[in-house]
This record gives sequence, C-alpha cells and structure tokens, in this order.
Amino acid sequence: MSGGGIARGRLAEERKSWRKNHPHGFVARPDNAPDGSLDLMVWKCIIPGKPGTDWEGGFFPLTLHFSEDYPSKPPKCKFPQGFFHPNVYPSGTVCLSILNEDYGWRPAITVKQILVGIQDLLDQPNPADPAQTDGYQLFVQDPTEYRRRVRQQSKLYPPTL
Amino acid sequence: MIPSSTTSLAMDDVHRSSDIVKVESTINYYSDGFDDSEDPLFLSDDDFVGDDDGAADALLEDIKEDEIDLLKQKQQDCKILSTAELRQRMEQDVAQVSSVLSVSKFEASILLRNYNWSVSKVSDAWFTDESAVREKVGLLVKTVISCGIVSNKRKIIICGICFESHTSDRIRCADCGHLYCEICWSIYISTSINNDGAGCLMLRCPDPSCHAAIGQDMIDSLASEEDRKKYSDFLLRSYVEDNRTTKWCPAPACEYAVEFSGADGIFDVTCRCLTSFCWNCEEECHRPMDCETVRKWISKNSSESENVNYILAYCKPCPNCKRPIEKNHGCMHMTCRVCRNEFCWLCLGPWKGHMNCNRYMERTDSEDKRKKMAKESLEKYTHYFERWDANRKSKLKARADHQRVKDEEFKKLSLSQDIPEAHFEFISKAWLQVVECRRALEWSYSYGYYLPDNEPAKKQFFEYLQGEAESTLEKLHNCVESELKEFLDVDGLSKKFSEFRTKLVGLTTVTGDYFEKLVRALENGLSDVNSHGTKGLEEEVEDCWCCDRCTYANPSSIRSCKVCGSLNIDNVNE
Repeated sequence: MSGGGIARGRLAEERKSWRKNHPHGFVARPDNAPDGSLDLMVWKCIIPGKPGTDWEGGFFPLTLHFSEDYPSKPPKCKFPQGFFHPNVYPSGTVCLSILNEDYGWRPAITVKQILVGIQDLLDQPNPADPAQTDGYQLFVQDPTEYRRRVRQQSKLYPPTL
Repeated sequence: MIPSSTTSLAMDDVHRSSDIVKVESTINYYSDGFDDSEDPLFLSDDDFVGDDDGAADALLEDIKEDEIDLLKQKQQDCKILSTAELRQRMEQDVAQVSSVLSVSKFEASILLRNYNWSVSKVSDAWFTDESAVREKVGLLVKTVISCGIVSNKRKIIICGICFESHTSDRIRCADCGHLYCEICWSIYISTSINNDGAGCLMLRCPDPSCHAAIGQDMIDSLASEEDRKKYSDFLLRSYVEDNRTTKWCPAPACEYAVEFSGADGIFDVTCRCLTSFCWNCEEECHRPMDCETVRKWISKNSSESENVNYILAYCKPCPNCKRPIEKNHGCMHMTCRVCRNEFCWLCLGPWKGHMNCNRYMERTDSEDKRKKMAKESLEKYTHYFERWDANRKSKLKARADHQRVKDEEFKKLSLSQDIPEAHFEFISKAWLQVVECRRALEWSYSYGYYLPDNEPAKKQFFEYLQGEAESTLEKLHNCVESELKEFLDVDGLSKKFSEFRTKLVGLTTVTGDYFEKLVRALENGLSDVNSHGTKGLEEEVEDCWCCDRCTYANPSSIRSCKVCGSLNIDNVNE
C-alpha cells in the first residue's frame, strides 16, 4: 500500500499532540510491546462516560489497532468483549460511521476526534445500525431496562488510578 | 431483414443489382402470405427486376426513398460512439455547462457528474437554487485566507494528515482551505482511486467535517500518471453509465458505446463491432421475444441446463415413483430414498426375487402414464432448448464464417472469377441475412416453448411460419456455405457464377421476407390466427392484398395501402 511508512510518523505526531493537550478524563497511550518498548500501532485508551448521562462514572477501556495503511485506513477500535451498547459488536469492535473505511473515514481524523466521537456514541446510540442484539433490543423495546443495564455497566468500570 | 447492415452499403452503380433486389424485398410476392406453393427458388431474374418499365422504375424510386428515410430514422434512433467521440461529447457538455453557469470546467464536470450528466438538469437546479446545489455537490466559493497562506512560500505549515511541517509551497488545499502536504494528498487520492472504484469521482476534502469536492484539476496535479489514467477512465465510464441515453456495447472488449433515443417497442441496436443487442435489457437481440420472457428463458436455461444434463447423464428414474436417482455406491441394489422401492440399477427390475439381469431381453413393457407425464415436460423443454441452442451456435458459426469469407475467400474469388472484391457485397449480405435469421429462429424456439398449449390454432400457425422460415433459411445457408466453395479455386465459371449470384440474391431476399413475416406475426402475438382461422385463407386472398409494409389487408380494388400508403406492387407489375 502506498501509505506504508507514514503510519508511524503520524502516530508519533499524534502522541506528541496528545501529550500537549487532550480532553479531560481521557487516556490514550501506545501499548508496551513484549520487549518493553512502545508499540505505536496499538493504543490503550480510556473513555470517560459523559457527566449527566447514565454512562457517568464509568471509565471504559478501548484499544485502537492501527494498520500500516493508517491514516489512509481507520484504526480498529475495540471495547472489551461483550460490551453492552447497541453499536458495539459482540467482539467489542465499535461500529461508527467515521471509523468505516468505505464511508466516513478521512485521513485527517485525529485520535482525539475518534475518542470524543466514541464518547458521544455511548449516550447517543444509532438504532439504524445495530451491532448486537442484546443492547439493540433493550434500547428499542425496554428503555428502563436499557438504562439500568447501562448504569450497571458503568459501575463495572470505576476509575483506575 | 437486416436494416442496420444495409446502412453501410454504398448506393452506387456497382451495387445496382443487389440494391434493386433489396428494394424489391419490401414488395410482397406472396400476397396470401403463406399458402403459395411456388418455390421461391424458381423465381427467374425477370421476377425481380422491372428495369425497362418506367412506371415500376418510378415506383422503385419512391420505395427507395422511403427506405432511405427509414434508414435515416434508424440511424437517428441509435448512434455508435467511440471512446474518442465520447470524450469529445463529454468535453462539449462540460464546456456548455461551464459557459452557461460561469464556473470552471472542473466545477462543471463535478456538477454534471452529480446530475447524471444531464446539462438541462444541472442548469435547472443551478438557477433554481445555486447555493443549495453548491452545498449538495461540494462546490465552495474559494476562501481568500487559505490562498493567502499558500501563496506565502516561506511559511511553515503543518499537514493535517502526517502532522509534519512543510514549507507552504508543498502544501495544497481545495477551495475549502484545509491544508495538507502534497504527499498526503497523493496518498489520499491514490487510496481512493484504487479502493473506491467510481467512488473516487465523488472525492471530498480529507477533513471529516468538510464537504468540498475534489475536482479533476487537483487529481491531475497530484496523482501518478497511472492513477490519472484510471480516474479519467472512471470519468468516462460515469459519463456513459450514469447517462440515461447511453450504454456500453455489452460485447467483451468492445469499447464503443451506443446512444439510443428511439421510441419504445423495438430496441435492437447494432454496434460498430457488429454485435447486435437489445438496448433495453442488454441481452443480445431477441426479436420477436420481449425482454421479460427472454429473462425468464435465460434464467431457466442457466438453472436447468446443468441439472438436466446431470440428470440425463448420471441418473435413472426410480421404477416406482420416477424420481431421478443417482447411484453413489458400488452395488446394484438400489433403494429409493423417497418411496423405499428396492430395485436393480441395471435392469430397473424389482430387487425382490432379482437373480440376474445379464441376459438380453427385448423390452416389452409399455411406458406407463406417470413416467410419460414426468418425461414430457422435460422433453418439451429439451426440444425447444436444443433447437434454440443449435440455432444460437449456428448463428455464431455463421458470423465467424462470414468474417473468414470476407477476410480470405473474397480475394481468392476475385482472382478466380476476375471480378473486383467490391462486387461480392451480395455474399456478405447473404451471410448477414443468415446470421440475422438464425438469431430470429433461435428466439422463435424460446417463443415456442412459452406458447400456451391450449391454443392449438396459434401453435399450428406458429409452427407453419417457423417451418417455412426455417426451410428457406436452410437453403440460403447451404447456398452461401457450400455452393460458394465451388467457385473458389476454379477459373472460367463466370456464367455459372452469375447464376449463383442471381440465386443467392433471390434466396437472401426471400428468406428475409419469410423471417420478417415470422417476426412480425410473433410480435403481434399471432393475432392473425383468429381472423384467418375463421374466414379461411383463400376467400380472403381473393379480394384482399396484404400490405407488405404494415400487413394491413386492403381490398383489391384500391392500389395503395389504406394505412401506410404503400403501393400494391403486384398490381402495378400487371
């Protein structure tokens, strides 16, 4: 792919820019490779639930997997397996238009924009594009139970300090 | 008839004889249509040409003009366009929109692409609400700020994709002013051209919230040559495919497109590569069948042919329930899954009490009715399919033969007969007629399959027309295929050759007539059957003549057709 080579440079710059300035409560840093060095291609992130929503108080772990084609292709964003949300696949992969390489992805989208975009998605699921049956059905058919489950899940992910 | 092929004929003296015959083909020799026992083969020269007769000449002149008009009309209905012509047209359209809307050519191209390349739609939308159109297609009014930044060459700017610093002469932006370095631009463009297919034509600025369209000017200055070529091919494809009036010729590797503006009904078009196809459904020409039935037939063939062939090759019907059974184990003791009947694979006799079946015995048992029923439907299909398929293959062979004859044998023939090659147009015409008739015959078999069983009169009439047409076609095909060979290597047969010419030209015309009749009858749903069937043919023939142009039955007292005005040529000749 012609994008080869650009990925690491861009990710290094993303890292710099993140360290300079990032939204409050968010965490994003490259993972440690087995040999102890930083692996720029995998980022461990934490997304805080928005205050004033059922997601408040939860700090949700998210992993970004970048490919060599980045930023021509979007990273794959994964919550833990079985994460409860209408637009998260059972594997934990997030289904979001800006993360779809055939549709909404643009190479100028930054890590920051991805994370903020996913934070927005948490409280504003897109029922037109369901990715799991459990979350989708409750969201559509039983809002009370849905909110209970969300609050329950938020408690599962307390702040890690 | 082969109207599309006749367009290429030069109407000069060289082709005088064949021209006259072609003109005659609009004249009906067989006023009663089909019960004339006279063999078309025995028409003498005099039957064809009435050169000396002034009145007939004038008449021929008239008909000729009519036919030329008809040809012109046909040509107007469909136009074959080469890649170069298409590009030229596209440029013309772009230039037109560009000047009418006072936008750049690249912007005009983006606009056209978004409105299916319809110049009128673009201008309608533009003059209704320009800003809505700009918003929809992503044409922004150029921002002054960004231009200022880019024009200051010393300034260091950070690319929004790779986040690296570049001097501003290496930074580019679309009209929106989002700045990216040239490398990131070219990767962005190349990714889109190579991954999004025709979607790259709708490329927008890399900024996620920006809708600015990326035009061909950006592509041309930033993409590799290979990508530029791909982009321009996508553009041309879009010009043909998104345009309501054009379609690509479906022949493999053919690069022509066909523009069609004809009225509904007949969609047959012929590309410059000589592929004929139905403009409506893009299958090959299938007159007299309608597109819908053709689709049914083709899908039936693809779903059945494999099954039928497999079943015939590997299966035997269970002697009890007649379901096809495939043998997949070694021994001959078969048990039908469905009816549990046990039988011997070889003799199909009951397994109970089966000893051996090695001794030859003449079969005496009569076919039972059930088996017959099951077989009949398959047999009916097989009957029509085989003939459809045979004519299809024969058509393809004839097309190849025609090409070969034109390429190789005309030269030989020209030497042996001492006649310029240009005089062999009549042979080409005969071949084209064969191809055309094989095609019509092919589809007439599919037509026959779908003809309802409960209308025996129609079926009979259909089979009669088809039989007549088929037998003249066989004569014509044989004549042009076999008899031509005799003249290839032998000298001094010129007298015989002119006889051959007369015969072939006559056969071509007559075959064309028969097929025209067949195709027309099938296209109007064999509706003649009722009137003819009740009245009786002879009676009607006595005091009527059928117009060859429109088939209207006119009283013999008038000389020109009530409906279309054509003259009754039989009458004139007398």
